[in-house]
Amino acid sequence: MRKTLVYAVPVVVVYGILVGGLFAAMLQPPAKFGRIMSRLPSVTFFLFPFEPMWLMARKGNLKVGDMAPDLALKTADRSAEVSLSSFRGRQPVALVFGSHT
Amino acid sequence: MPALNKLYQQYKDQVAFYVVYIEEAHPTDGWQMPNNIKDHVLVASPHTLEDRNEAAHACVVKLGIHIPALVDDMQDSAERAYTGWPDRLYVIDRSGRVAYKSKAGPFGFHPDEMAQALAKLVPPANPVKQTH
Repeated sequence: MRKTLVYAVPVVVVYGILVGGLFAAMLQPPAKFGRIMSRLPSVTFFLFPFEPMWLMARKGNLKVGDMAPDLALKTADRSAEVSLSSFRGRQPVALVFGSHT
Repeated sequence: MPALNKLYQQYKDQVAFYVVYIEEAHPTDGWQMPNNIKDHVLVASPHTLEDRNEAAHACVVKLGIHIPALVDDMQDSAERAYTGWPDRLYVIDRSGRVAYKSKAGPFGFHPDEMAQALAKLVPPANPVKQTH
């Protein structure tokens, strides 16, 4: 029993530290988090509860019912600038955030 | 993407639909994914707004996106305001309030949830015909 504890306690402590470290990395800006992840082995996904940690870390501050922050962005073809607030009172807006990769 | 293109076709007359092109999730100079290497999806992080525009354009063409695309600025204002990275869906109602916010992608990216949110706000203009 005591022998098991001697091994188990450090393993749990180290695991806890690693989970904390990964969570802290998830809270970093995307580019920084990406750089950190690019150096970690892919076993990271299986060793840790990656998905629930990610969903928690990337929850964000916006909630359903909040006013949507205004965005003024140019279209990809540079033909126009679109302001989200211009749709207020007129029509709903659907946004798909993403990239190529 | 086909599911989102379909939603766009269905709602484009009543809903302002936009793709917001943000920071690359798995660029060649960052957290590259084996699948992307296998599929030759090799994209470097754009470092100027001009590069980002080009990358956005290439992304829209290669992925066959019919939805008009907006490009985030180099301060990543849209990404930060909406916690959009790596991908995420939102529906904003007529009064400008968030009606639907997906969980963070890739795990939380579910166009069918967006479809439900849109159906609550707008009656579909081109209802899918019953086949039986």
